[in-house]
Amino acid sequence: MKMIIGGAYQGKLAYAKKQNPYIHWTDGELCEGDNIFEAEGVFHFEKYIQSMIKKENWSEKEAIDFASKLIKKCPDIVIVTQEIGYGLVPVDAFERRYRELTGRICTVLAANSDQVDRVVCGIGVTIKGGDTK
Amino acid sequence: MFHLITGGSGSGKSEYAEQKLMEYASHSKRNKKRYYIATMMPFGKETEKKIARHRRLRAGKGFETIECYTDLKKAAEVLQTKETGSVLLECMSNLVANEMYDPSGAGGNAEESILAGIRKLQKVSDDLVVVTNEVFSDSMTDNPEMEKYLKLLGNVNLRMGEMADLVTEVVYGIPVERKDIKK
Repeated sequence: MKMIIGGAYQGKLAYAKKQNPYIHWTDGELCEGDNIFEAEGVFHFEKYIQSMIKKENWSEKEAIDFASKLIKKCPDIVIVTQEIGYGLVPVDAFERRYRELTGRICTVLAANSDQVDRVVCGIGVTIKGGDTK
Repeated sequence: MFHLITGGSGSGKSEYAEQKLMEYASHSKRNKKRYYIATMMPFGKETEKKIARHRRLRAGKGFETIECYTDLKKAAEVLQTKETGSVLLECMSNLVANEMYDPSGAGGNAEESILAGIRKLQKVSDDLVVVTNEVFSDSMTDNPEMEKYLKLLGNVNLRMGEMADLVTEVVYGIPVERKDIKK
């Protein structure tokens, strides 16, 4: 499993495609339910989480169970996801939950990833795995 | 030793901080006592749930909890009366909000009060670990109160960054080193 993370509009997907030219990409915003487990590469992963929290009303445990299932079913998946937890705590309760649960899921996934790259201004820096450590 | 730990929401910074504190407290030349300075005021169901979650994470790790919603110096004075040990303060983002908005807070003197408190905590502890929060990548700049809060927390983070021996940003559980005076 690989993760490519970063803020919005940083060129994460372009970077991911360059690194992984031969895989099929799924848009997390359009992907529904268990279809995620068929994906080779997924972008807007945070949007998938957002829609699942909305639809399934995930608890923290359910969110972490989902992460564990993804690790088990998709050991080679490439995940492109936006870091959404770097602003002030939102006034809206759903937004707070979305940020928190996305963080929990991504922390579990990062712990199980072979490589995590963080993209800023289109430039990826490997913060886990790869040639750095 | 002063270790500053920062990260976004849900980044795993607390877990990392607790793990580091356990490590420091187990250092052979150090005292084994572990203190936790809790800054989150319990108001409403959501904060109570958050506090319960943090308690669960700390359970069985042998922390003695000192609640401190404002005026860090008081927490340092309490620590002075106890056996010396390693201290974990969590979270600076709450403390800054409390100092600014709570009636018991330092108000206009929040920054000085907090930094004086940090210096005092450094003196009375073997190792000090402070958790703060990356909340600075937002687009909400039209709210003067929010701006004031961001500026204050930003300044406190800058000063702590200067004082700290180690600064780590935790990204989804991955420690990214920002400062190490030994390097």
